[in-house]
Amino acid sequence: MLRGPSGSGKSTLLSLLAGVLKAQSGSVRVLGHELGALAGAARDRFRADHIGVIFQMFNLIPYLSVQENVCLPCAFSSRRRDRCEQSGTSVREVAARLLDHLDMGGEDMLRRQVTELSVGQQQRVAAARSLMGAPELVLADEPTSSLDADRRAAFLELLFRECARERATLIFVSHDLTLAPLFDRAVEFADLNRFAGSSPVTAIHREAR
Amino acid sequence: MIFPLAIKSLRNRRFTAGLTVLSIALSVALLLGVERIRQESRETFASSVSGTDLIVGARSSPVHLLLSSVFRIGNATNNVSWESYRRVAALPEVAWTIPLSLGDSHRGFHVLGTTQDYFDHYRFGRDRKLELAQGERFADADGAVLGAEVAAALGYRLGQQIVIAHGSGDVAFALHKDHPFHVVGILGRTGTPVDRAIHVSLEGMDAVHMSESAEAGGDPLAAAMRNARQRQMQSAGRDDHDRDHDQDRHGAGANETPKRTITAFLVGLKSRGGALFLQRQVNESREEPLTAILPGATLLEVWDIVAGAEKTLIAISALVVVMGLAGMLIALLTGLSERRREMAVLRAVGARPWHVFALLLGEAAFLTLLGIALGIAALYVGLGTGQAWLEQRLGLFIALRWPSVTEFGLMMLVAVSGVLIGLIPAYRIYRLSLADGMTIRI
Repeated sequence: MLRGPSGSGKSTLLSLLAGVLKAQSGSVRVLGHELGALAGAARDRFRADHIGVIFQMFNLIPYLSVQENVCLPCAFSSRRRDRCEQSGTSVREVAARLLDHLDMGGEDMLRRQVTELSVGQQQRVAAARSLMGAPELVLADEPTSSLDADRRAAFLELLFRECARERATLIFVSHDLTLAPLFDRAVEFADLNRFAGSSPVTAIHREAR
Repeated sequence: MIFPLAIKSLRNRRFTAGLTVLSIALSVALLLGVERIRQESRETFASSVSGTDLIVGARSSPVHLLLSSVFRIGNATNNVSWESYRRVAALPEVAWTIPLSLGDSHRGFHVLGTTQDYFDHYRFGRDRKLELAQGERFADADGAVLGAEVAAALGYRLGQQIVIAHGSGDVAFALHKDHPFHVVGILGRTGTPVDRAIHVSLEGMDAVHMSESAEAGGDPLAAAMRNARQRQMQSAGRDDHDRDHDQDRHGAGANETPKRTITAFLVGLKSRGGALFLQRQVNESREEPLTAILPGATLLEVWDIVAGAEKTLIAISALVVVMGLAGMLIALLTGLSERRREMAVLRAVGARPWHVFALLLGEAAFLTLLGIALGIAALYVGLGTGQAWLEQRLGLFIALRWPSVTEFGLMMLVAVSGVLIGLIPAYRIYRLSLADGMTIRI
């Protein structure tokens, strides 16, 4: 977990990790790849192949069904599609299984319009999507801030369990101190910045769990 | 991958998308409709004179002679004497002639006095002959052969008795009640002015006007009109063989053949090469001032005259298409700001910026193509249902045929414009997406 007050640059850091933004100075190494050295399209492909993302809210494409939303990463990454199919199942079956694990199972649910879902349900769909095709890294940007306290804990529990099952590293940014004890490791954003000048970002890579 | 996404996104905004498609469809239908009517009217006109080498009438402007004699637009100012007709018909280069005598009408349809030559020699379209759908040709002064549209519009069958009236247009003055005609034949559809004419023999025409002058004393209005016209002619110092004039002089004598005049006549030559020579010969004839025209050449003059109006119509309908596409641009652009977070999500799940670009472009392309397809459908439905009306009101026979090369060109132009216009919102969202990245801005 990466904790810091809003406006401290957490989202910017996530964008750097995801390769959407390019560092103006210094280097960003993620999963052994030097992102600064990659061209824009290559960074996009890297993200599509290796990283799942969960936002604070508005995670889903409103005009797609639950199932279509969950399957979306496999449309942009053949690597993740192949991984889904490696297990001898179709992309849709993997999506159904992930949703089932996140207490969102059922044929009926798969075909629902995402606009009909509650915020908590939407976040779980987003979690399922971020884990499709077993990406190595899941970036979550305050995914629980729109949930109330009870459902926050339940959501985190499900998220932890699925990340463990899919063997994905979870980098979770939040301003909420009360969540810190639930994580393997919690880093204060202010502490990270103290290392400015060395290579602060690599410090958290592969260790955030 | 991106295209199904574009369609689903549009389906989500189906109301706005539907309106956009509708406006594009209507504008495309208008554009193609104007173009189609332009082409078809040209074809109708060309088809009507396709088998005729020369048209001869009294001295007048060529365009006026063509329009009044074949297309019944406007009235002939003067007539041609029967002697002049016989003289030209007897020339060695002439294969056939068809006399045309106009000026009377029946319930808004022109009555055309002619001879059997009309059925033998008149050609329209690609060398097609007139064919009778029912009945036979007129054999005597009482018979009338109806054009297909006349029979259909008035619901006439064989044996129907009709009374013709002097003058043309919907309001005719004097009815020739004493000499009714009987429908003996109905022609097949030709898609030319023939469909809208009632054909009688020249003898029938003579008989009508003979009985008319016999009863002239009993019809003060008709007599007054005739006298007025006569005075007009005389005061103009003309010694024309005006029909009424003649009949006032000769009509009373029952046994005497009336001095016939006709409005114009069509000429077919043994070889088309002689047309120019004969045209000059007729134009320079000393006996009577005549005008001979080459219908094809004169038709080109007509098109020159209407070209400006045609261009204006096309330009206006093209502008309507531009408006339709502009509507699409507005709909796509106004949607952009609220779609920035959708784009951020797409970027987060791995979409490259060009995917986002293609999504918007795909939406524009889909809207345009659907609009064009619906526009074509609307055009054909409109033409199918409006066909009868167009023929009745404008004398235009619009065949339901496949789109022409020009129309395909127009459709391609609209499609390409639609895609080009789609580049604008696509480029904008591409820029926004690059700037926003995964950051969700609302």
